Amino acid sequence: MTHARMRRGGPPAGPPDGRFRPARRSKPGLADREGFLAWAMLLPSVVYIIALVGVPFLLAIAFAFSDVTTGDPSYDFVGFRNFEAIFDDRVFWRSLVNTVVFTVITMIFIVLLGKILANILVADFRGKWFVRFLVLLPWTTPVALSTISWLWFLDSIYSPVDWVLRQLGVIDTNVVWLGRPSAAMVSVIAVQVWRLTPLAAVIVMAGLVAIPRDIDEAARIDGAGFWRRMFEVTIPLTLPVIAVAGLFGAIMTFTDMTVSYVLTRGGPTHSTDVLASWAYFRGIEGGDVGQGAAIALFLFPILLAGAIAILRAVRRLESQ
Amino acid sequence: MSEQLSRRGFLQSTAVAMGAAGIAAGCASESSGPQAKDPGQAPKEVFTAPTRKLSGSLSILMWSHFVPRHDKWFDKFVAEWGKRVGVTVRVDHINTVDVPRRAASEIQAKQGHDVIQHIAPFSQYEPSVLDMADLVQEATRRWGPQLELCRKSSYNPNTKRFYAYCPGWSPDPGDYRKSMWEKVGLPNGPGSWDELLRGASEIKRTTGVPCGIGLSPETDSNMAARALLWSYGASEQDPNEKVVINSDATVAAVEYMTRLWKQAETNEVFSWVPASNNQALIAGKSSYILNSISAWRTAMGTNPKIGDDIFFVPALRGPRAALAAQHVIQQWVIPKHAKNADAAKEFLLHYTANFPAVTYNSELYDLPGWPSLVPQLNGWLDNDPFGAKPANKLSLLKTATSWSANIGYPGPSNPAIGEIFNTNVLPTMFGRAARGQVSAKEAVAEADRQINSIFKNWRARGLVGG
Repeated sequence: MTHARMRRGGPPAGPPDGRFRPARRSKPGLADREGFLAWAMLLPSVVYIIALVGVPFLLAIAFAFSDVTTGDPSYDFVGFRNFEAIFDDRVFWRSLVNTVVFTVITMIFIVLLGKILANILVADFRGKWFVRFLVLLPWTTPVALSTISWLWFLDSIYSPVDWVLRQLGVIDTNVVWLGRPSAAMVSVIAVQVWRLTPLAAVIVMAGLVAIPRDIDEAARIDGAGFWRRMFEVTIPLTLPVIAVAGLFGAIMTFTDMTVSYVLTRGGPTHSTDVLASWAYFRGIEGGDVGQGAAIALFLFPILLAGAIAILRAVRRLESQ
Repeated sequence: MSEQLSRRGFLQSTAVAMGAAGIAAGCASESSGPQAKDPGQAPKEVFTAPTRKLSGSLSILMWSHFVPRHDKWFDKFVAEWGKRVGVTVRVDHINTVDVPRRAASEIQAKQGHDVIQHIAPFSQYEPSVLDMADLVQEATRRWGPQLELCRKSSYNPNTKRFYAYCPGWSPDPGDYRKSMWEKVGLPNGPGSWDELLRGASEIKRTTGVPCGIGLSPETDSNMAARALLWSYGASEQDPNEKVVINSDATVAAVEYMTRLWKQAETNEVFSWVPASNNQALIAGKSSYILNSISAWRTAMGTNPKIGDDIFFVPALRGPRAALAAQHVIQQWVIPKHAKNADAAKEFLLHYTANFPAVTYNSELYDLPGWPSLVPQLNGWLDNDPFGAKPANKLSLLKTATSWSANIGYPGPSNPAIGEIFNTNVLPTMFGRAARGQVSAKEAVAEADRQINSIFKNWRARGLVGG
């Protein structure tokens, strides 16, 4: 789109000889072309996604059908041999179940706690910005760093959590959070919930502030109390956003290996191994890149199916 | 307010405070380890001119040694060698757990360091590293026969190649708290697995302090699992690399571990990382662990009273043998992509020739793969240069080669054994039975399936026999 330049304070001045000449149009530059600009702006993201997501994804597919090892990058096609091997592996199935269990439970908790936290954060109170900053800290801290802190919190000997519980008389001896299968699973889920709830809260908060105030006020005038407004106004109107928060949480839990790897290294007896950590153990530490890639690839169809299901549900909700 | 701190002032004072804290931390680290009684005992370094003219640069990737004194010495040692032979040397020390993934990425990218050192078997890298046969032959010509466990940890009998060069190793004795074991009538610590069960159970019953044999997915638990298997006459493979894990001896070992865990241990051992057993022993929360001498050396510096209470025993006797896994096995590999392989090999020979200095500066942690290299060793073990009380506390290590074996014993440390080690098949086998998730027989059968599958996979690549 071009704009004729106009002199302030009136029509353009004519030439001194009085004859009219049409205003000279400046030639449109690249910066004026919307199509070009759109691509130029998107290009860094596209390059990033292709280089850091697309290429590794294609490599993972190629490796999953190969006998590549950490010590031998030469490529030999082996068909479905790696998949047959991992399907025969008890630990793979255990990791798959763990991944699904961790994801579902984490998703439920981060949606629930994220909604509660978002409601608190949109309320007006003194020090609101400081509280928002504190709430966002778990999300902004690098996951490996925060998980190492949790490793110390849950240490079998020096756990400050256990120390506090002992001082309060709640326990006599240390719980050993990471040494019992059930407690270790709870610990891994709790850390995932702790680090992902702030993200869910921020997403839900964006949905909450977008609700027109007059709807809420109309409900108040009609005599609706807090809970009624919550369940019949706020939640229905923010459901698509809540679903997006849940989707983000699910994807991040499903593909994460850091929490499980740092906290328990998949133990005790593989009770906290997830697909991503088991892929790492087999592929990098064990040296069998082909099998590691086959395990990692198994994340993709499940993740894709889950994402499509949730996004479809969101679209249905939006069209209602 | 004139007293108010400006932003510039705040940043300056913070920087000064952090600098001071850094210096203090550095000093603390310097003085935290034991000091040599007589620094004059330090062996003199030797220099042999390289057989060929060297030039260019040499980059080395290696672990950060558990004994800080070693790295300080090593960096100076390698820099001096570089100056004398005309090679610019760069050494990158990284956490030992990061070495495999760094090596994997360099091998895949076909670029990176000229020499990589790791402390666990590196056999899976054989296709991408140089054959070190010439180096091993030269070292053997100069210093006599190499230790069997070092050879088995660096030589592939199927391809007849030395995928690594192994000039040193560290033993894995039992570490016990003398004051605790005296009270159960075993002042010299347990001598057998049966004594361990009896004594550790009694200590736990009377004092609540458990035994610290790990069942967790980590290195020390893997070492302990192998020591127990071998002592019962079981193993993952035979000398010809046939899988033999599914045996009555393995079932007996698993049943023993179940008893030990139930009677003498707690859930803690399922949550451990490699440092946990050291911490537990030093904190008085463990009566016995399997580990190197580094935990004790740390205690000598930080808490001499506890350090003096920690003693060592050799591998425990089982029904069939008394064997322990090596704790650290030096693996030096030269990737095919190395730009200065000549300098790398010359340096490794120079390093090996100076193994007395390696042993001394690692505070007797690193022992020689060619025993003739360190004639002073027995004297040091009988009279610790770093102030052990009693001075002969480490004298049991004089016989360490007779009760230590390589990972994969009685066969070689092949890539299948490496994968079994790194995916924690054996601690899981022992752990599942101990927890009662499956019976001992079922746990062994599960491990057998996994191990056979791993062996089959590596055999297909021609790297494993059987």
